[in-house]
Amino acid sequence: MKKFLTILGIAAFVFGYSQNGTLIVNNYTPYDFSGYIMANNFAGGCYPFLTSSAPDMVTVPANANMGNGNELRYENYKDQYTSSLYPISQWYVQSSSTISVLRPWNHAAIMPGGTISNNTKWSATKFNMKYAGTTNGVPGFSNGLTLAGNTSCYTAPDYFDMTSGGVTNSAEIFTLTSGGINYTYIQLYTF
Amino acid sequence: MKKLLTVIFIAAVSLIHAQNLKLIVNNYSTTFDFHGTLSAHNFGGGCYPYVTTNSPAMVVVPANANMNNGNELVYANFKDQYVNSLYPNASWMVQLSAATSIVRAWNHASIAPGGVISANTKWSSSQFQMYYAGTSTPEPSFSGLIGEPQDPCTGAISNISTPYGDVEWFNITTGNVDYSYLQIY
Amino acid sequence: MKKTILLAAFAILGLVSCTNEGTAVNTVSSMKTPQMENFDKAFKSLGEPQNRPTEEERKRNTSELSDRRKALLVPASKELILSTGVTESELMRKTGGDMSQIIVWATQIYMKKSEDIRNNIKAEN
Repeated sequence: MKKFLTILGIAAFVFGYSQNGTLIVNNYTPYDFSGYIMANNFAGGCYPFLTSSAPDMVTVPANANMGNGNELRYENYKDQYTSSLYPISQWYVQSSSTISVLRPWNHAAIMPGGTISNNTKWSATKFNMKYAGTTNGVPGFSNGLTLAGNTSCYTAPDYFDMTSGGVTNSAEIFTLTSGGINYTYIQLYTF
Repeated sequence: MKKLLTVIFIAAVSLIHAQNLKLIVNNYSTTFDFHGTLSAHNFGGGCYPYVTTNSPAMVVVPANANMNNGNELVYANFKDQYVNSLYPNASWMVQLSAATSIVRAWNHASIAPGGVISANTKWSSSQFQMYYAGTSTPEPSFSGLIGEPQDPCTGAISNISTPYGDVEWFNITTGNVDYSYLQIY
Repeated sequence: MKKTILLAAFAILGLVSCTNEGTAVNTVSSMKTPQMENFDKAFKSLGEPQNRPTEEERKRNTSELSDRRKALLVPASKELILSTGVTESELMRKTGGDMSQIIVWATQIYMKKSEDIRNNIKAEN
């Protein structure tokens, strides 16, 4: 029995979820997250640079996170459309500072394993927090975030916080990487 | 001392060489074969030297030949492509000015990697025509001049969209290597 | 082999009994194992005041979580991995105690289990 489960565990580790570059947004605040989702080339040069286009600002509702299974999770530009709770139907793809094109989620140009997918990683967001269920912004709880080391491509910190009325709202972006498997987390907190 | 200087010189030349663009053509279309010239030219002011595929002039990258199956076209430079590429070109048309052009074999010294012509040209464009896969029947609407945009030497554009498919041209820098990608969907 | 069949039988029994109840609505939260819940809590705890990145940690030029903060995720990660039947010694042997490796392994297990739960909920509705 133990052997069986061990094999399962190893199989899951090796095969099950070996997609590179999964993005997870965990909203631990009582506010709706509304933000652009971005990805870019990290290996030299910033392009290609992808930004969510339809919708441009993705909404991850108040308190939607792994705790209740309502986190935003994108494995790649394509499969997110069919598997995510917060699908993006179109991406804005910049191949240089002067060339850009809109691509639907299922266009061959951005397919998993293709050139653009292989040369970009989840990298940044620009967000406004809103009072849950409204279009009213939470004053001061908005900023850009990008992974450390990416500031030459997108100017933003990887951590942000603001305190108001004894409550601290914060946001951060970080990675957890091992053996070629990479998870990028955007987390928003209110404590 | 001489040996050291020679080594440094060779290393320096190789470094320069490594920074030149490689060209990759990925044909993701399952309906059409790509037939197109592949050109490079001087981007540093003036358009010459201007180098274009010659044998064949129109390179054929078949339907569904791309990096997913290892059948993409890769040209690292004018010479090594003949030995390494699935779609070798035996000679190049070299224009040193508007008035002078000459055909050079793939292994001619003047177009060797690290030489003056190689060091001063970058992949720029392709004049292409798509053909129904495995046939000599073109699709007239699926053709054009694709390449680096805003290039007064070629007048190419970087994105072409047709009801039969799309074509795009873009660069990606990885490490210190620049790649030019021509992708057909 | 017998043990496997027995386990499968219990699983089926469990599922059947769930559907027969009818009134209880299964959500992803309610179907999570305690180890999954602790894994969730660990990620949330990264935002607590004492767990936030320090000035020094923020000066690093790497996007990876700092060792201090990774350590906050390791215990729950280990528990989740062990809950799948992997032994402590196997875990240490495979990961060498590398925190990133432990956390990423646990994340993959977590994702797989979440997906299974989601599929089960879909199947019941």
